[in-house]
Amino acid sequence: MDILWFGVFALLLIGYFALEGFDIGLGLLLPVLGRTQKDRDRIVAAMAPFVLANEVWLVAVAGVLFGVYPSIEGDVLFGLYPLVVSLLVSWILRDAGLWFRRRLDGRTWQAGWDWMICIGSYGLALSWGMALVALAGGLSGPSIGLLGLGGGLVIAAALAFHGWTFASWLLPGQVTGASRDGRALLASACVAAAPVAVLLAAAAPWLLDHTAPTGTLSVLSVIVLPFAPVMVGAQVWTWRTFGPRRAADRIPSFF
Amino acid sequence: MDVLDLARTQFAVTGSLHFLFVVLTLGLAPLVAIMHTRYAVTGNPIHERMTRFWGQIYVTNYALGIFTGLVMEFQFGLSWSGLSHYAGDIFGAPLAIETLGAFFLESTFLGLWIFGWHRLPKWLHLACIWLVTLTAHVSAFWIMATNSFLQNPAGAVERGDHLVLTDFGALLTNPTLTMALPHVIGAGLWTGGFVVMGASAYHLFKRTSEREFFTRSLRLGVITSFVGSLITVGFGYAQFLPLSTLQPDKFEASALTGASLGAMIGIGQLLQLAIMFVLMPVVYWLPRWRWAQPILMVITPLPFLAAILGWLVRETGRQPWLIYGKLTVADALSPGLTSGMITTSLIGFAGVLGLLAVVDYVLIARTVRRGPAAVTLGADGPADSTERAHALSY
Ligand code: HEM
Repeated sequence: MDILWFGVFALLLIGYFALEGFDIGLGLLLPVLGRTQKDRDRIVAAMAPFVLANEVWLVAVAGVLFGVYPSIEGDVLFGLYPLVVSLLVSWILRDAGLWFRRRLDGRTWQAGWDWMICIGSYGLALSWGMALVALAGGLSGPSIGLLGLGGGLVIAAALAFHGWTFASWLLPGQVTGASRDGRALLASACVAAAPVAVLLAAAAPWLLDHTAPTGTLSVLSVIVLPFAPVMVGAQVWTWRTFGPRRAADRIPSFF
Repeated sequence: MDVLDLARTQFAVTGSLHFLFVVLTLGLAPLVAIMHTRYAVTGNPIHERMTRFWGQIYVTNYALGIFTGLVMEFQFGLSWSGLSHYAGDIFGAPLAIETLGAFFLESTFLGLWIFGWHRLPKWLHLACIWLVTLTAHVSAFWIMATNSFLQNPAGAVERGDHLVLTDFGALLTNPTLTMALPHVIGAGLWTGGFVVMGASAYHLFKRTSEREFFTRSLRLGVITSFVGSLITVGFGYAQFLPLSTLQPDKFEASALTGASLGAMIGIGQLLQLAIMFVLMPVVYWLPRWRWAQPILMVITPLPFLAAILGWLVRETGRQPWLIYGKLTVADALSPGLTSGMITTSLIGFAGVLGLLAVVDYVLIARTVRRGPAAVTLGADGPADSTERAHALSY
């Protein structure tokens, strides 16, 4: 059962990078790809229907970390204290940009929140890169450093590539000028998730060592696993509803 | 302030902000779902307009619920790592179940509902808002179950230096859960009903053109708050019985605890009687009585206030314990946490969330003021008429 829950944990974290990765990536590229307000509206409208379904994977990661690896949850989050704080603040600013940008009139209002989306996305990508480097070093060194910054830039580049591919897949020829098929999107998702997958593989023995007792895992399994098909179904439904065959441009978007 | 006080302040500030928004989410979700159902069944456009207008207020409010909730979820690990060391084997389970079995689904279905207008088939779109309502309440159940474990650590025994789970059923039938959960859900309905009532009173008072819309809404708001107030008050008094044995000195814990309890009950009891004996008998005529509208607007924030007071009672009353009788708040503090760290994060979280909360309330007030005609949620039209709508409203 500890293998099963490690699988769930790994799937959620990899899924977060593969899915939310393109939202963050498009946020990074927003000023480049969206020079006019209309272009930015189109880019945000492309990712908007997916954001809520994507970012929630990280909330689930945190929940499983608490439920399945309680003895290291506190150490990991506390060990990464400044990075977790900057990750959260960035995440909130990015989301605020999305939720608020179209709630008021005015170019300044909208352009301002678009910058917030971009800044928040940079904060997310850099915090993640530094956190992954710190975790790879076993949380021994200081959490912020030159090596970490390098890691942050690598993650930012990977996510930007993924975001670019997503836009070329959903709105072929429109935002990026290129078109990509589903296979290219899958490949860029793998690129976005590769660093964290490697880290997970390396950390597997350590995680398995710290799994919660069987009693706790049984309770989790009995209550959560029946919902797994619904969770998968809801995600698939989102992709079927908002995929490229439905012209995303036709309808004014809420974000 | 020392590190402990700062960490407690951070939790109190983010927790209170979180609850201000989720209490309205809990109450508005079923109301929007009912409006949407009436639209789906009758096809009457007024129900569509009601769904979209109150729906936009609901989702605008929801945004801050997410932002504050994110901080809550990670704060345990940041400031209170002692909690997961000592009780993580039990405490983590309901939290994990909440994120996977409730919030994950709630977020996905909410995305489908918000962006599914004019794209999803009618009945599937309706199903989304009901699933959002359902999962929001399931989420409240697990969070309250987790909180109740702190009030009364049922279903666990101490083994060595930490707690282990012995009886999951006892965790779910915790007497500090069974009475408190309906109390909170009632408070949500009451709050949601009052917001609908107060916003409608504003439009009727201003004599805007949306007379029928807000006449119906005002009645719905009063009736909802009546139902909510009965549940809240009934289960409010019912909480005293389990508390008298499980946390007998709770209300003497501090002056703040006692005063908050008194104020919550004062507000609650007075308002509940006023709704039952004044507003309900005249609910049919109330929308026409212009002199009454300002009063309805002024009392709208009171359930929010009572709800925050309620949490102050519940959480200050268990001090100095984090887990009642087992683990003190001081012992749960992350070892090595410095006042520099906590001050920086407190300023960051409280500053950002506080500002965004103000922005959010301004946006909700604006949505109310501009009325149903200016709603963007579910706005329809091909790309070129979008442009026109842009030109008009932006
Ligand atoms: C006659 C009116 C009321 C009574 C007798 C009452 C009673 C109580 C009691 C005894 C508690 C503390 C439970 C504990 O410490 O474990 C409590 C908590 C609380 N109350 Fe009230 N209350 C009343 C009105 C209200 C109103 C009007 C609201 C909001 C609309 C509200 C919201 C809350 C909340 C959110 C809590 C914290 C969660 C909980 O313990 O249920 N209460 N209430």
